[in-house]
Amino acid sequence: MPSSTKSPIESPIEQSTLARMLETMVPAGADDADLYLQHSESESISLEEGMVKHVSASTHQGIGARVIKGEVSGHAFTDRFETPALMEAARAARAIAEGANSLSPVAVHDTQQTRTLYQPKNPAEAASMPARREMLERLDGLARSIDPRVKQVFASVASSFSNIHIVRMDGAHIHDARPLVRLNISVVVEQDGRRETGSAGGGGRFGLDRMLKGEEAERLTREAVRLALLNLEAIEAPAGPMPVVLGPGWPGILLHEAIGHGLEGDFNRKGTSAFSGKIGEQVATRSVTVVDDGTMPERRGSLNVDDEGTETQRTVLIEDGVLTGYLQDRQNARLMGMEATGNGRRESYAHAVLPRMTNTFMLAGEDRPEDILASLDRGLYAVNFAGGQVDITSGKFVFTTSEAYLVENGKIKAPVKGATLIGNGPDVLTRISMIGNDLQLDPGVGTCGKEGQSVPVGVGLPTIKVDEIIVGGTQA
Amino acid sequence: MNGSQMQEMCLRLVEMGKKRGACDADAVAVCDTSESISVRHGQIESVEREDGRGIGLRAFIEQKNGLAFATASTSDLSDDGLNRLVEQVMTMARISAVDPDAAPPSGADHPEHIDDIDTQADIWSREAAQEAALVCEQAALSFSEDITNSEGAEAGFGTSEIAYASADGFAGGYAKSTAGLGVSVIAGTGSGMQRDYEFDRSHSVQGLRDPKALGQKAAERACRRLGAASITSRKATVVFEPRVAISLLGHLSSAINGRSVIQQRSFLAKHSGQIIFPEWVNIADDPDHPVGLGNRPFDGEGTRTNARTIIEAGRLTGFLTDRYAAGRLGIENTGHARRGLAGDISIGPNNLIWQPGQISVEDMLAEIGDGLLVTEMMGFGVNGVTGDYSRGATGFLIEGGRITKPVQEITIAGNLSDMFASVAAAADDLTWFGTRAAPSIAIANMTIAGQ
Repeated sequence: MPSSTKSPIESPIEQSTLARMLETMVPAGADDADLYLQHSESESISLEEGMVKHVSASTHQGIGARVIKGEVSGHAFTDRFETPALMEAARAARAIAEGANSLSPVAVHDTQQTRTLYQPKNPAEAASMPARREMLERLDGLARSIDPRVKQVFASVASSFSNIHIVRMDGAHIHDARPLVRLNISVVVEQDGRRETGSAGGGGRFGLDRMLKGEEAERLTREAVRLALLNLEAIEAPAGPMPVVLGPGWPGILLHEAIGHGLEGDFNRKGTSAFSGKIGEQVATRSVTVVDDGTMPERRGSLNVDDEGTETQRTVLIEDGVLTGYLQDRQNARLMGMEATGNGRRESYAHAVLPRMTNTFMLAGEDRPEDILASLDRGLYAVNFAGGQVDITSGKFVFTTSEAYLVENGKIKAPVKGATLIGNGPDVLTRISMIGNDLQLDPGVGTCGKEGQSVPVGVGLPTIKVDEIIVGGTQA
Repeated sequence: MNGSQMQEMCLRLVEMGKKRGACDADAVAVCDTSESISVRHGQIESVEREDGRGIGLRAFIEQKNGLAFATASTSDLSDDGLNRLVEQVMTMARISAVDPDAAPPSGADHPEHIDDIDTQADIWSREAAQEAALVCEQAALSFSEDITNSEGAEAGFGTSEIAYASADGFAGGYAKSTAGLGVSVIAGTGSGMQRDYEFDRSHSVQGLRDPKALGQKAAERACRRLGAASITSRKATVVFEPRVAISLLGHLSSAINGRSVIQQRSFLAKHSGQIIFPEWVNIADDPDHPVGLGNRPFDGEGTRTNARTIIEAGRLTGFLTDRYAAGRLGIENTGHARRGLAGDISIGPNNLIWQPGQISVEDMLAEIGDGLLVTEMMGFGVNGVTGDYSRGATGFLIEGGRITKPVQEITIAGNLSDMFASVAAAADDLTWFGTRAAPSIAIANMTIAGQ
């Protein structure tokens, strides 16, 4: 889209006021400073017991002021837009620095953004509330029609639209308008007194009409029912070390936990990551290449610019098994003498910027998925996962299966109950012996938590075989 | 904005809703301010100041076959912002489905009198908070030569005002304050690095543990993890330290949440009145506790809160409810509605307390003989519908009644129904973590998966 067609940036706070805030808050010798102005509107409707009885919306706006000098940062967050409150915030942010202000006046000026990875429109406008309600009722009927054992259906559709304004120390005003939608289906099934649940979800940065029109919603509903019915047959999961084949797509959460967090700039600058100082070292089998890519159109983890106004990019984290890069925000990049990689993110105006992942995935290999499964003598085939977590410092990470099968002699024996898998980040990737040619990205459901902040992310993986990882079932 | 202004704004919003056609409504307003400072390696790392406000409205409308409702919130408290909010709620309520069991807020059992539950006499100055963080981190860094790095120490102080009003004319409010101090340090180097932390939260600065003792404890925790390794898979008794034992209280309160019970999403849905723990186990919920941070005089629907025994001599006394869940389940309203600004009303406990036992932790370990002490857990492997439980763990091997060596890269697994029934002992070391308190808890016969 040619930039000449864009109109001036409309900001909820006038640019002259933003300029006064910067003039007030930036001390002499500051390395960086910015304002982060956010206006978000979100809507959610959900169905249970066949009725859409929960409908809610929220409007949230506020501004975060930040000043950085070396390793020190000052932050102030407020949702009051009256000038005295804004100036008070500006003064609070500069509280880290004594002495004189930077005397130069700031001229806030528009910076045209050339990227359009998603439409700058409120996704809620693309589908009326009654249309959304109708869809959820239809999905409820669909789930119940698939199998009489379906006793409860929970379906929800949520959307948000965030207008983000970043004003840098030099007055550059960067604007990004971010849509995000999400559909969730969860069912409870019952057979002979045994109750089980299954769920599925999807979404991304596009209009709600996409969710309503396409077949994705129906597919997710069938998937939730399939998983729940499968769980009715699930046997106790095994306990102990064994080879595991991970299915494509969402199991990429392995990468997110095992290495992604460990490569975030803050932990590495501070030397607290199990990956600290390992750049250039072989940390994975030679055929493993892992990237973090914030530039994929309409993906949940994508951003035109990160929350510091840096354009997102494709960063190679591991190339042919060798650790090649970190994920950086501006402050950590500056302190480490590296370039910012467009990974500076914050949950909202009221949170600090941290280096975070966008969409993290492993490139496809050459093995056929069926050959990978056939090579498994006795082990676990894990196709779907719930959440995961990592201890950055010890490198230990977990992720929990939501669909997994016991495999013997290359054949699926039986589904097993959800079990947590635990491994060690710096060596799990050295145990990858086969990589499929079937890279898939997740359906748009990832949310990453760090220091109490949640941000949307994506993951992806081809089918892979990990020669040994500890499976935390109950059958020791 | 002070408390009474917030209550007036809530009343006004409820009136605005009624004028636009709501047959019943309630509103909640929240006003928070907080400041925090973090230090690392003896230097200030970050200073944060936040003030935030917001108001939410829930409106019911009458339709042909009953009532429907919607909820919305905004941080724009201007007249325009409030008008837009009311317009939005009314539009949404019209597309919401009629629920024959809808429970509008009017007529709730409101408290007659509201005492100030937390006084805000002692605001922490930035200088004093900074000093506490510095002392805390220094105590951790100088604890041992094995301490090699710091993730920093943080001290913070915040206040929160909550106001509520409903269409029956009730308006009330209360204020809360919280002080917090925490530190996280690293022992060892390279692939042997171990991190651990210690933190404390309280109503007041005076209620916080001594910064120096807190820092030393964090360092001691990190040091004693050095050399941790996996162990072989086995069945064993697992002891949950207080800071991980409180997660068991979380699983229990989710399972006895009236909404989960209605939705058939709880493994305890059919267990009201039944013995689910050994007969010496007692667990309480207290909305007016001198230490707990979850105190409140009324719940998210204006219903007065009451102390309640949740597990009495091993027996589940009932489910936690709000007006809706009580009506649906045909049981009493326990006053556990929770209401934030965003999203819908939910149900949750106030301050949960697992009553401590009589024996010391040392005696408990001696009695157990061989087992595992868990000090940290990872992951979310808990299924609320079935009770299936599988989580990553870190801790220590217990051999011959004593802690022998640090353990990591293992999982512990079982089923919460079995785990609750297999609680073998509770020690006398009751410890508070904000809104939950628990002693060390031993659970027999769990599966440990390791090398």
